[in-house]
Amino acid sequence: MRTPRPLPAAIALVALGAVVAVAVWRPWSGSADAVGGPAQITVSRSQCGQGWTGAKTGRQTIVVHNTGDAAAEVDLVEMSSNKVYGEVEGLGPNTSAPMDVQLGAGRYAIRCLIEDTDAITAPTVTVAGDGEGGPAAVAVTKNDMLPLVKQYEAAVAGGVADLAVKTDKLRADVDAGNLAAARTDWLPAHLAYNSLGAAYDAFGDFADKIDGSAGFHPLEKGLWHNASVAALKPIADQLAADVQGLQHDLPNEQVDPNDLGLRAHEVMENALQFELTGENDQGSGTSLNTALANLDGTAKVLAILDPVLKPRDPDLAQVQKWESRVRALLTAHRSTPVARLDQTSREQLNGAVGELLELLAPVAAICEVRRSS
Amino acid sequence: MTGVGRRSFLRGALAGAGAAAVTGLTVSADAATSTAVAFHGVHQAGITTDPQKQAIFASFDVIAASKGELAELFTTLTDRARLLTAGGALPPLGITAPPADSGVLGPDMPGDDLTITVGVGASLFDDRYGLKGRKPAKLTAMKEFPNDSLDDSLCHGDLSLQLCASETDTVLHALRDIARHTRGAMQLRWRVDGFQSPPRPSGTQRNLMGFKDGIVKPEPADHDKLVWVGQGNGEPAWTDGGSYQVLRQIRMLVEFWDRVSVGEQENMFGRRRDSGAPLDGNSESDIPNYSADPTGGAIPLTSHIRMADPRTPDTAASQFLRRGYNYDKGTDSVGDLDMGLLFCAYQQDIARQFEAVQTRLIDEPLVDYIRPVGGGYFFALPGVRDSNDHFGRSLLA
Ligand code: HEM
Repeated sequence: MRTPRPLPAAIALVALGAVVAVAVWRPWSGSADAVGGPAQITVSRSQCGQGWTGAKTGRQTIVVHNTGDAAAEVDLVEMSSNKVYGEVEGLGPNTSAPMDVQLGAGRYAIRCLIEDTDAITAPTVTVAGDGEGGPAAVAVTKNDMLPLVKQYEAAVAGGVADLAVKTDKLRADVDAGNLAAARTDWLPAHLAYNSLGAAYDAFGDFADKIDGSAGFHPLEKGLWHNASVAALKPIADQLAADVQGLQHDLPNEQVDPNDLGLRAHEVMENALQFELTGENDQGSGTSLNTALANLDGTAKVLAILDPVLKPRDPDLAQVQKWESRVRALLTAHRSTPVARLDQTSREQLNGAVGELLELLAPVAAICEVRRSS
Repeated sequence: MTGVGRRSFLRGALAGAGAAAVTGLTVSADAATSTAVAFHGVHQAGITTDPQKQAIFASFDVIAASKGELAELFTTLTDRARLLTAGGALPPLGITAPPADSGVLGPDMPGDDLTITVGVGASLFDDRYGLKGRKPAKLTAMKEFPNDSLDDSLCHGDLSLQLCASETDTVLHALRDIARHTRGAMQLRWRVDGFQSPPRPSGTQRNLMGFKDGIVKPEPADHDKLVWVGQGNGEPAWTDGGSYQVLRQIRMLVEFWDRVSVGEQENMFGRRRDSGAPLDGNSESDIPNYSADPTGGAIPLTSHIRMADPRTPDTAASQFLRRGYNYDKGTDSVGDLDMGLLFCAYQQDIARQFEAVQTRLIDEPLVDYIRPVGGGYFFALPGVRDSNDHFGRSLLA
């Protein structure tokens, strides 16, 4: 059952400068029927898509070779559905790369997206046969995403305004020396931040100031470990000031259309890494409340992405199923420090969040903004 | 005598290397090992299969929320095992998802002798999935024996996976792939990575106490009597073709062991360290003759091999198939090496075989140098017969 590996030979051919068109290569067929190697397709302004011969249905690897002088992206598109079946990104001049695709019967064309050049769609190739097509989706474009980004920005602005009210209240508690009230008001403020649906560098430096090494967590540590009012006052003041800073800065912060899809899984990646492990807990024992707020943020992003996802993601019902399961588990275990959960509950939570993340990863892939013109 | 053997072996190896250099040939491990082991069969692969070099033993807690989700878990396990053991490129997912696999094995994964063997623990037959009445007759939770120091986090589990292949990357790739596709249905509880050593200098591989380990095994003709579960053993019909799997993580106190004289070491096992021969014989394949040595003058009555199997007509039915692996888990809190044997045994009846032998071995002299810390009892499911079959079909039917 050794499978032949003619690829290195094919690349060697390309290195010699030859652009050869040959039969489709089927490395998984297990027999040595590959005649010479995979199809070689030229990518350049003048010769986009030339050399694609022997296309058939089923699985195949084709090699795209950039003979031009600018970096290019190459898509393999089925013309009647406009679905993309394969993609190679960042193909530098004079390099080639394999594209592993699985095609059903249809009318396909190579699309060359060369830097600083309008998209070039090669002549259509009709592929016949009864092999089944693999998963494919219509590319999401910047235009698809722009209205969604606007909605997201508006939702975040609303969330930050709500957050600012809550951090102001928290500051007032601490300033008044009422730490019992501060402990009560810390949680809603912290959850307001964590339900924004932001992750990693979403808010630039503000993220670390508000919910990183400064801000909520040092305050939590002090509030739950008997720190003095004098020690906490500067932290609470700074937190409220930074949230206001974020609020003022927000109109200048542009959300990259690509980020929306990424947030759909990164927010819960954060929850898995920092909340379900208890790593972020500085004494309040509310990591699971935070994870639930993260889930709310994720749900917000998913709702906004829905028009783009519905026609593209066949697993959307599964996403919903696992989102509800995670929600039910987090709700049931709210306000319990993770270390105090029994092993079964902890495994159920880790497993459900893990499964949800496996389903959210495709969301990010599908929502990646692609050029089509 | 053994010295001569070792030198002549070395000479042979050097001559081989020289010839390869002259002809410009290199021996490709890849070509030699990249074969697929058949996945379909009456029995699962990975039981009577000759032990591949690398292994992962992993135990999972099943968190599937219903019997239906448990059935899905078994179907997913079957699909992944079928794909992974066959090798080849995984189907492309285009722009709709991250890559289909971790890429650890490159774009066209080799079959690499991979076997994936699935077992179920007694705890799966509690009331979560309505399987109480379906439990294999001889399946219980692993017992604690007098010389054990078990750590609960290293014991038991609802489902076991034994992944074996020629190379480490292959078994790790398989574990990552399976975990990725089953996160919502099962979670890793404990895991031990194992390896078989090359013959030093020849014959059976050595364990980390320096002794050849795995010499004695049942004849294939006896597998139906000793290894496979079939009807007529008081078992539910669905178990036909399966086998009981006993896993024991047994740490070796290697620092202490290395301070023991070779004579004492050999008396503890009843075999020569260099050759693996029983103390009344000359080569590892010699059969100990206990009736000629009734007082243990050659092979002490307390030696491991003699206590484990006194080779009397009464004890013949307690033999089983050992398929253990060496493990190395780094360093403990006082700076001692944490290594040992992942003991793995396949059999027809745990009480009649493993437990009977383990009971004979209670307080054997070796116990001062070893420490069983974990493991579990599992039932390795019947094989997946063909492309329409899946793990657990007969169990859940
Ligand atoms: C760290 C723990 C252990 C070590 C280092 C060890 C080592 C050995 C060695 C060196 C041999 C002789 C070579 C061979 O036939 O493979 C042997 C044989 C054997 N061992 Fe162990 N063993 C261990 C644990 C166990 C356990 C837990 C059992 C079962 C309860 C067991 C059962 C046997 C049996 C049945 C034989 C074959 C005896 C014969 O038929 O001559 N061993 N073991």
